[in-house]
Amino acid sequence: MDEDEAQKQRLKAAVHYTVGRLCQDIAADCEKQITKQTIAAIAETAFRQCDIFAKDLEAFARHAKRHTVTVDDVKLTARRTTALYNYIQQKSEELALNNQELKEKRKKNAAKRKSKDMEAEEENELED
Amino acid sequence: GIGVTSTCEHEKKFISKSTKNHLFSSTVSSDAVILVAELLKVFVEEATRRAVKQADSEDCDTIDIEHFEKILPQLLLDF
Repeated sequence: MDEDEAQKQRLKAAVHYTVGRLCQDIAADCEKQITKQTIAAIAETAFRQCDIFAKDLEAFARHAKRHTVTVDDVKLTARRTTALYNYIQQKSEELALNNQELKEKRKKNAAKRKSKDMEAEEENELED
Repeated sequence: GIGVTSTCEHEKKFISKSTKNHLFSSTVSSDAVILVAELLKVFVEEATRRAVKQADSEDCDTIDIEHFEKILPQLLLDF
């Protein structure tokens, strides 16, 4: 249990750091100051929201009789506000597109390597 | 504009680790992890921007915890 608690504290600290940077950037962009207390409150809220998301995600995956949480589960979590849902939908499409491009790159590279190997084999045979 | 998007990769890893540890018996697809990180980032940005608006409406230059507290209920309802 102590190890879990220690891990939790490390995560909280990491979230606090990241949230702090995000908040500072936005505050600076809006030409305002933000207090440390406010950042801490936002970080704590974000950490708790993470817990809520995780519980929802697991429930959705279980409902769909899956052991793996997927993109569809995440989209469902973002259903309360239309604008938010659309934003997440857009991001998921970008991800899918990215994966597609990576797949095609790998196929091309594999094909290139194959033809290079075959050329090298031919040369070796000629030398013999 | 803001340099927020450029700080993303490092932060996404932190955020995704945070999510993973809250789960009990499931695994999470790598794309789903990225999306959850995005969701949390939007949450934090939205919280901050709404607090800024609240501070603005009260003619304050500093975002105080009271500003955040005032926008918190609606924020939680929207997410």
